[in-house]
Amino acid sequence: MTAADPVAVARVPSALTQDSRRGRGDNSVGRKRKKWSRTAIAGALFVAPAALYLIIFQLAPVLYGLVLSFTRYSPISRLGPQPVGLANYSALFTNGAFGNALLVTGRYVLQVLPVTVIIALVLALLVNRPFRGVGFFRSALYVPHIVSLTAVSLVWLWIYSQNGLINDVLHTIGLPSQAWLLGPATALNAASAMRIWKALGSNMVLLLAGLQSIPAELYEAARVDGANRWQSFRYVTLPGLRPMLTYVVVMDIIFLAQGFAEIYVLTKGGPLSSTTTVNYLIYTQAFQYNQLGAASAMAFVLFALIIGFSFLSLRGIAGRQR
Amino acid sequence: MAVIAKRATRIGVVTASVAVAAALVLSGCSATSSSPTKDSGEKSLTVWFPGNNETEINLVEKKIVPAFEKKTGAKVQVTYVDWGDISTKLNSAFAAGTAPDVFGHGPAAAADFVANGRLSSLDSHVKGLSAADRKDLAAALPGGRVDGKQYLMPLSNQGSLIMYDAAAFTASGLDPDKPPTTWPALLTAAKKLTERDSSGQITRSGLLLPSQDIGRQQTFATLLAGAGGSQLNASGTKILWDSAAGTKALSYFASLYDEKDGVSASLGQDYSNAPVNQQPILLGTAAMAMMSSTSMEQVVASGTEKDLRVMPPLSFPGNKPAALEGAGPGLMINSDSDEQSLAWKFISYFIDSKVNSEYTQGIGAIPLRASAAQTSAVKNDPILQAFLKAAPNGTSNPNVPSWVQVRDIVDKHLEQALHGTVPAKEALQQAATEALPVLKANG
Amino acid sequence: MSATIAPRKRLARTTGHGPGERRLGSMIVLVVLSVLVLIPFLFVLSLAFTPEKDAFGTVSIIPAHPTLQNFVTALVDADLGRALANSAVVAVVTVISNCVFAVVAGYAFVMLRFPGSRALFYVLVSTSAIPVSVTLIPLFLMARGIPLAGGNDILGQGGNGVLDSLAGVVLPYIVMPLNIFLARQFFESAPPELAEAARMDGAGELKIFASIYLPLARPLLAVVAIFSFTGVWDDFLWPLVVTSSPEVQTVQLALARFLSSGNVQYGPVMAGAVIATLPVLLIFLFNQRSFVSGLAEGSVKG
Repeated sequence: MTAADPVAVARVPSALTQDSRRGRGDNSVGRKRKKWSRTAIAGALFVAPAALYLIIFQLAPVLYGLVLSFTRYSPISRLGPQPVGLANYSALFTNGAFGNALLVTGRYVLQVLPVTVIIALVLALLVNRPFRGVGFFRSALYVPHIVSLTAVSLVWLWIYSQNGLINDVLHTIGLPSQAWLLGPATALNAASAMRIWKALGSNMVLLLAGLQSIPAELYEAARVDGANRWQSFRYVTLPGLRPMLTYVVVMDIIFLAQGFAEIYVLTKGGPLSSTTTVNYLIYTQAFQYNQLGAASAMAFVLFALIIGFSFLSLRGIAGRQR
Repeated sequence: MAVIAKRATRIGVVTASVAVAAALVLSGCSATSSSPTKDSGEKSLTVWFPGNNETEINLVEKKIVPAFEKKTGAKVQVTYVDWGDISTKLNSAFAAGTAPDVFGHGPAAAADFVANGRLSSLDSHVKGLSAADRKDLAAALPGGRVDGKQYLMPLSNQGSLIMYDAAAFTASGLDPDKPPTTWPALLTAAKKLTERDSSGQITRSGLLLPSQDIGRQQTFATLLAGAGGSQLNASGTKILWDSAAGTKALSYFASLYDEKDGVSASLGQDYSNAPVNQQPILLGTAAMAMMSSTSMEQVVASGTEKDLRVMPPLSFPGNKPAALEGAGPGLMINSDSDEQSLAWKFISYFIDSKVNSEYTQGIGAIPLRASAAQTSAVKNDPILQAFLKAAPNGTSNPNVPSWVQVRDIVDKHLEQALHGTVPAKEALQQAATEALPVLKANG
Repeated sequence: MSATIAPRKRLARTTGHGPGERRLGSMIVLVVLSVLVLIPFLFVLSLAFTPEKDAFGTVSIIPAHPTLQNFVTALVDADLGRALANSAVVAVVTVISNCVFAVVAGYAFVMLRFPGSRALFYVLVSTSAIPVSVTLIPLFLMARGIPLAGGNDILGQGGNGVLDSLAGVVLPYIVMPLNIFLARQFFESAPPELAEAARMDGAGELKIFASIYLPLARPLLAVVAIFSFTGVWDDFLWPLVVTSSPEVQTVQLALARFLSSGNVQYGPVMAGAVIATLPVLLIFLFNQRSFVSGLAEGSVKG
């Protein structure tokens, strides 16, 4: 057998992920006018229950929030929302705290996302074999995701405390204790570590499902073509994983940009606002200062950014194909 | 084809039956309706308590409330919501018109509710109390007043004083029977009590004052009062913390964390809410620490052999001693409630001296009434005695609308001063500039 | 016939390459990572068996004087049994509704496109990018105003809607937009030719979905089930706001009972957390076999 022909191997998975119009009910490529074919009607019917439900219970509250962002509204006020035009939005430009929160959120996403995805991918590959006891490992790695955040953050607080587990270990080795959650330079990293820990399991499970949706025939075809392990990973696994990887990245961006719970329990936004994410600000505005209008405005700016980043990463991951 | 139809029908039937079963289960699992019973003439009351103290919950739900129900023939539904979430839950309920008849919160929150017309004034009810009762509650009532009117009835007093390790005092040549009475003297003592290791890191803080968020604002308020200053003017329209007294207080506070000369380690650490086994004064990582009465009680109850004592309030020379002490969380009446008189009956039941003593003892808080000092429970408890003695010197945060936001602004700037990024005077001025519009917008 | 057209029944697994060394190496990595990841949970477990006054006293994993008292406190004082039942009902309904509606919709967005489906998809999914703080109160208002529920008339006035009921707790979770996204991504990698072939045979869309693609989607269903379950099981803020009576408390609310600032009862919180984690762990264990079963399935039709 000759050495693997990259071109031949690369061609193999393209049928998998290419957004092929064939057979997906669009009635052939090139048709300029979309028709309500039989499959289209069926599609609309399939989607209808979920769409209706989401429009009523998900979209409507979001739109209401958008309306609120142009008002001044305290939930305990008897007056209801008072229109103030763009005041909430323009206030954000002069609000140093908001600018700082954007930076913190951006940094948070950028430092957590790549780490979780890569580690989760490695884990998924490791547990993608049917050996005895694989279930135990999968469950062990999934535990952080399911254990109550309330309870486990009490443990994390202690782990990070000045006399807690990490500093204890450092002492035994002879290294000086660190400030962890108390230091403006270290707090965000400490919170990121806990978030990475929590997200590993769910990302792993998703990528595992993705790995398992790749047909075995493709690996066999690659092997027949003489591909080695790395080549089969690069030309079969990665492309095959692309849809799920896209989902993981986009979903993680959405969740991380809304980072709140771990900040709330570990650092309450400090020290020196180094861990105040946009969502933390939104929460304090909405429920501690009773400024739901201002909170909504912040939320929609965050929303725009999340959509922007998601779109970019969608293009980035899927776009390379074209 | 028949096969398709059968398959589709099967799926449809399965889905439908699942949906029906789910609907049945769900509707059957709903709680009894919380709308008021109109038919039986039986009165009912909804009450929301903040905080989740286990002893308190058991005491309230299993003893106090049933006794009240028996006495009045009314039905009371009590819900406990932890502190972090009570505002969220109340906000939603008020927005939808489903707020409870009676609810609890800290005094700081009362002003916002008053400003939105959500609370019934308790003035007439308080006037209806006997003169003896009013005198007994005199120290506690002011904390629940907004604009001079009573809106919140505290259920306990709360405060912070400094607890110190007598053995550490003796070992450093200080007299534990004669603790310092001024803040400068305290700092001198703290310097003697501070221990460092070979690398210069503090291993035992001479003095710990709360420096986590919100905690440091309370520390500042205490120091400020001891320097003769105050945070806002009486009507809550002017900012006064950027005075000379404020600078003195904040400079003092910041000097505790000085690199070379400091006496406090772990700036920003929340030891107030740490588990009892992690309390610095128990671990020996602090010789003196400002703590709440509840914390102190827990430390003593842990069975330690350390001789731990409580210091009376301190002052800056030339001023009166001051400690952060005053009304604790209390109950308020929803102005939209249909059960105004029953609501007051519930509240007054809680401030009855026997009930209140039981309640505060159960939660380890300072009793509401001055007369509680005579009960055996308090007489045998040196910690409670210290707090009751300190009550006349108590100071508390102002009760103005948007106080929470103003407080957070101060808090943020205090943090910068403590970290040394901004000098004390500037920090206070910046805080004043930022907070003034907020105060004005909601005043 | 190329490999892609034949119906695939054997799903991927990494072939056991080479010598046992590589396998041993990966095993070691797995074990080390698993232990590291489990450490915080081990402490939770340890504290659950530690008497209150010893909590956080020492750094050891094995408690010096283990006790079951915390579990008793958690179960009895917080009525954890009932809270577990409530959470279970909510979770089961959510899993079923998501597995049905979200998966079907995700499939349609890939395989049965219609004019405007792409835009609709993006709109639906983007609603998950708005923080809960903003939609909480509008949703609460809607829950209160559901017509003909909880004493409401046809316009949704007068009563309390689905407030303070399990139906209210379930309300926002019947279909989670990210599950639709997930399903869509999964079906993106499914071969569309099978549907074409079946259509030419005259099969209806529902049959095509149910008999061809649904069996292939076992890993997807497993993930949707797990995520829907955990999403609802862990949720705190919405149940907090929508319920008040102890009878309809969910598990996380019951646990919060032991958190009193300045006086957290660590033992019962940890014990409660352990009790609350077990069902989810079981659900996961049960479902992760669905990932494995795909491997074992042999070819069916040629």
